[in-house]
Amino acid sequence: MSRFFATGSDSESEESSSADEITPKAPGATFKQSLLLSDDEEDTKRVVRSAKDKRFEELTNLIKTIRNAMKIRDMSKCLEEFEQLCRAFLKSKNIVDKEGVPPFYIRLLADLEDYLNQLWEDKEGKKKMNKNNAKALSTLRQKIRKYNRDFESEIAAYKENPQESADEEEEEKEPEDSGSSSDSEGEVSSKSFLKKKPEAPSEATKFLKSAKGSGDESSSSDEDDDDDDDEDWGSDQSGSSGETSDKEEGKTSSMSMLFLKKAQDTEKPGVRKEERKKKLKQKERIEEEAEEEGGEEAGGGWEKVKGGVPLVKEKPKMFAKGTEINTAVVVKKLNEILQARGKKGTDRAAQIELFHALAAIAAENNLGQGILVKIKFNIIASLYDYNPNLAAFMKPDMWKKCLDCIDELLDILFEHNNIFIGENIAEDSENLAVSDQPFRVRGCILTLVERMDEEFTKIMQNTDPHSQEYVDNLKDEGRVCGIVDRLLTYMENKGSTEEICRVYLRRIMHTYYKFDYKAHRRSLGLQGETKSEQDQEESEGEDSAVIMDRLCKFIYAKDRTDRIRTCAILCHIYHHALHSRWYQARDLMLMSHLQDNIQHADPPVQILYNRTMVQLGICAFRQGMIKDAHNALLDIQSSGRAKELLGQGLLMRNMQERNAEQEKIEKRRQVPFHMHINLELLECVYLVSAMLLEIPYMAAHEFDARRRMISKQFHHQLRVGERQPLLGPPESMREHVVAASKAMKMGDWRTCHSFIINEKMNSKVWDLFPEAQRVREMLVRKIQEESLRTYLFTYSSVYDSISMATLSEMFELEMPTVHSIISKMIINEELMASLDQPTQTVVMHRTEPTSLQNMALQLAEKLGNLVENNERVFDLKQGVYGGYFNRDQKGGYQQKQSYQRDQKSYQQKQSGYQRGGYRNQNQGNY
Amino acid sequence: MASRETTVFGTINQTIVVLKIIKHYQEEGQGSEVVQGVLLGLVVDDRLEITNCFPFPQHTEDDADFDEVQYQMEMMRSLRHVNIDHLHVGWYQSTYYGSFVSRALLDSQFSYQHAIEESVVLIYDPIKTAQGSLSLKAYRLTPKLMEICKEKDFTPEGLKKANIGFEQMFEEVPIVIKNSHLINVLMWELEDKSTVADKHELLNLSSSNHLEKSLQLLMDRVDDMSQDIVKYNTYSRNLSKQQQQKHQYLQRRQQENAQRQSRGEPPLPEEDISKLFKPPQPPPRMDTLLIAGQINNYCQNVKEFTSQNLGKLFMAEALQGHN
Repeated sequence: MSRFFATGSDSESEESSSADEITPKAPGATFKQSLLLSDDEEDTKRVVRSAKDKRFEELTNLIKTIRNAMKIRDMSKCLEEFEQLCRAFLKSKNIVDKEGVPPFYIRLLADLEDYLNQLWEDKEGKKKMNKNNAKALSTLRQKIRKYNRDFESEIAAYKENPQESADEEEEEKEPEDSGSSSDSEGEVSSKSFLKKKPEAPSEATKFLKSAKGSGDESSSSDEDDDDDDDEDWGSDQSGSSGETSDKEEGKTSSMSMLFLKKAQDTEKPGVRKEERKKKLKQKERIEEEAEEEGGEEAGGGWEKVKGGVPLVKEKPKMFAKGTEINTAVVVKKLNEILQARGKKGTDRAAQIELFHALAAIAAENNLGQGILVKIKFNIIASLYDYNPNLAAFMKPDMWKKCLDCIDELLDILFEHNNIFIGENIAEDSENLAVSDQPFRVRGCILTLVERMDEEFTKIMQNTDPHSQEYVDNLKDEGRVCGIVDRLLTYMENKGSTEEICRVYLRRIMHTYYKFDYKAHRRSLGLQGETKSEQDQEESEGEDSAVIMDRLCKFIYAKDRTDRIRTCAILCHIYHHALHSRWYQARDLMLMSHLQDNIQHADPPVQILYNRTMVQLGICAFRQGMIKDAHNALLDIQSSGRAKELLGQGLLMRNMQERNAEQEKIEKRRQVPFHMHINLELLECVYLVSAMLLEIPYMAAHEFDARRRMISKQFHHQLRVGERQPLLGPPESMREHVVAASKAMKMGDWRTCHSFIINEKMNSKVWDLFPEAQRVREMLVRKIQEESLRTYLFTYSSVYDSISMATLSEMFELEMPTVHSIISKMIINEELMASLDQPTQTVVMHRTEPTSLQNMALQLAEKLGNLVENNERVFDLKQGVYGGYFNRDQKGGYQQKQSYQRDQKSYQQKQSGYQRGGYRNQNQGNY
Repeated sequence: MASRETTVFGTINQTIVVLKIIKHYQEEGQGSEVVQGVLLGLVVDDRLEITNCFPFPQHTEDDADFDEVQYQMEMMRSLRHVNIDHLHVGWYQSTYYGSFVSRALLDSQFSYQHAIEESVVLIYDPIKTAQGSLSLKAYRLTPKLMEICKEKDFTPEGLKKANIGFEQMFEEVPIVIKNSHLINVLMWELEDKSTVADKHELLNLSSSNHLEKSLQLLMDRVDDMSQDIVKYNTYSRNLSKQQQQKHQYLQRRQQENAQRQSRGEPPLPEEDISKLFKPPQPPPRMDTLLIAGQINNYCQNVKEFTSQNLGKLFMAEALQGHN
């Protein structure tokens, strides 16, 4: 079909279009052409359109943006667009030469100039404008002045009488219409593109008309037909077209609307223009329809396919009268519709309708499942194509349609085992006709479903998560899952391993983040409370864990693309972690070695990785592995960008760091709200684990000069807490943790406990866990233990001995636990003490240096550094590196070395250092 | 001038000066904050007699337009009206654990000494005083340091040439506190009346607090010193590296010139080498010297304190053994 595009004239295209009889046709005149296929008609039209309309559409599009920019007073945008417009106008020069300057162009120029002058006068407004805009305004004003000089006469004419000039245009065109066929068609299409959106309804009316025609006028003369139609149209027009145009004003991309709306006086001609346009179009159509009506008897049966405009029953004419509907014809028609796909000016909605109609015809004529499947594929594809923009998401009705279609398609595929589909089936080797051989259809159901899944994500991303709408949309998740499931069963029978892997991954993606309450309840040994619930449980099949395991293992074994496997592993870990299977999750994470090379993965996988790590950390926390929890969460939390890293929202940043394009990309990566991980929970878990680790550590290393921080963020929070001039009762989660930390520092576990676990914190954090009670118990125990440790570190210096019974009473821990904690501390040399078995007491050994001693040690260390530095200076003076060492082999330096290794020789070193005395020497040299 | 330089080898304080200084600190200074004031007096023979003083008002941020000089002048004029010695002979400053050797002190003492030859700075240590022994010290800049300060040459070379160490920066001037006879009598009487408990302050055995503070300050200084040394080290390394480069460059040039000469060509024009090799900015060494002086000061303090305390500890031990 593509060869038509090269052709300039209709006759040529018609000649080549079909093997059937070919007669040149002039739509302006009225005659009947029997056996002319309607395809030809459409073809010719399209060819003409592409020649000129493309240019004009470009212009109108630009004009539209300019008008919009005018409305919002965006001068810089206006200027930009205007420059583009001038360029575009130059490009379409030869067409303009032929046709004259299009009226809408003149109109814009005039309006723009007026508008600019008006703005220019408005001194107040100008002052308010920002610098860019003001600059653009002056530039634009100068430009348009210069530019408009070329069109002076036209503009003057327009300004004088805008209405008339518009009318004149119309009249000018009128005679042309009836003249040469190609010209008139060109005109028609040029207008029709002006009013793009309403085309559908207008077509619809046409269909209505033709339906009527088929009823009573099929045999009447064309003349009559035409008249009749005109009348009908006239009466109809005011109702439907006017209405539609009104209705569409706001949302459509209708270009002519702009002109219509512009001013009261210009409206009229606009409407009339439309009418004319429609009439013209109508005329052409009618002929074809009349032709076709005779042959087509299936009129009534078509109605149900069409939705569209209410009250108007449409009737697509697909095939000429009397054509034998067979597979070849349908395929041809299908291809023809497909040709229009992706072109500018193709009405995508109408295209979908056409496909539907075609499907209906195919079904009607029992052309077999092959062709049906083929058409379905195309319907779904064009549904996806509906939005030209990648960021835009499907409208709900489209989405529903899409789901339905895929469902139907799957139905067909399940019912008919003899259909082979695949991407690799070449177009020519397709077998669509009913025959003994199995059907072979090109197309990939898997891709369609994947795309559907993505669309679903997109819809969820673009819905406000706190609205009812979101909930409604989320209900579709079940259907999506159902489709994925069905596809899975289908693929398991028919698909290749790669395809199975892909569909498995889809399934996994829909499973991994959901908590399996059913399995959870079962593991707790609880039965469903009512009988019906139990039934439901049984009917729902296996546990998600089992499914995950099966699917993931298949992917591990069979997948050859690294990405799917990585995703599967991550999801698997996530799922394990979510269900508190800590060891499996951890082992899987460690075995996968993902930590080493995740930075090479693409951002969505990295986001998944981050999510998994966070989930792993939270899982570790639930299991009481505080250290693991802290380590897992450290990376995410320490950056302070947890939100961004988890793909749960964008951080506010200035535009230098991220332009609009990047922002769009990042937005597309966001995880839908129902999959979010609660950030407050995450932070709380992190802070509490940091507290449990850091507080005893701080107590143990109070005097250590080189004390390092375990968690920077936790320290930050502590500092923030300290800086508060007035300490009220804690409000936020962070304040609670800080307050608890302070209590723990004093070894006061009860206060600590009450700060960490109370109603506020329960509702904010702890109740979010599936096993909230267990977690709380774990937490209390941890607090007691760590408080005991902190207490011993902090206050061991004031005790000579302390009875373990007292400790166990103080911290409400059992004796063995206290015993084990203290023993551990002693073994790790954290606590200088020994246990006295008979009396059950801890006897402290005074080996901890006092603060003064600590200070002295620090000072000694610093002096050591100083000496070393000084030596370097000295070396430099000597000109020989290491000269000092050679010279002073027996002197202080060696002793200093030994001191650094062993602090006991402190005194000795001190003397050596004094003896060395080189500092004094050096100082003398200054 | 030369004769006057030797004059100040002893200062005599009137009790009123001491009491006023103490009172000033007690009222206005707290913690590490420093109070300052002006000393008045006159030079008699080879002694500087300080007979009176008045404090500087504490600086606050909001009255930035406060003119210190004018205040001093006015004070002195007023004092002259009531027939009090009004000659400016120096200034006093309180200190916190002996930390007074600083750039600020050096600068202001230099300007004092530059303008008024016999000026001294009295350093009053309130903490030591509170422990039972009055600590008041008078310092002057050594002539050597005066010269350096005059030249403002704090580069390593300059200091090296001046051959000055931290020990020779300040000279301490002995102080004699002189009371009128009546006051002496009063003192005797007071001492007679005072109970034993009043003197127990001297026997305080707790030492760690004071020592800790001193150590802390000492450590800070040592850190500063380390930094300075590292800076100096880098500088000297850079310098030597550049020297090497310069040397190489010169050699190459010489060779080339020799070659040219052998070929009978004119030698290369002279170029300004110092432009090619800009010597690195030498770090000022004065701060290091001051830090060293301060460290020395701390060490003296600690030493003094510990020796006293050791004595006390031995005493206490003996007492315990006796009991």
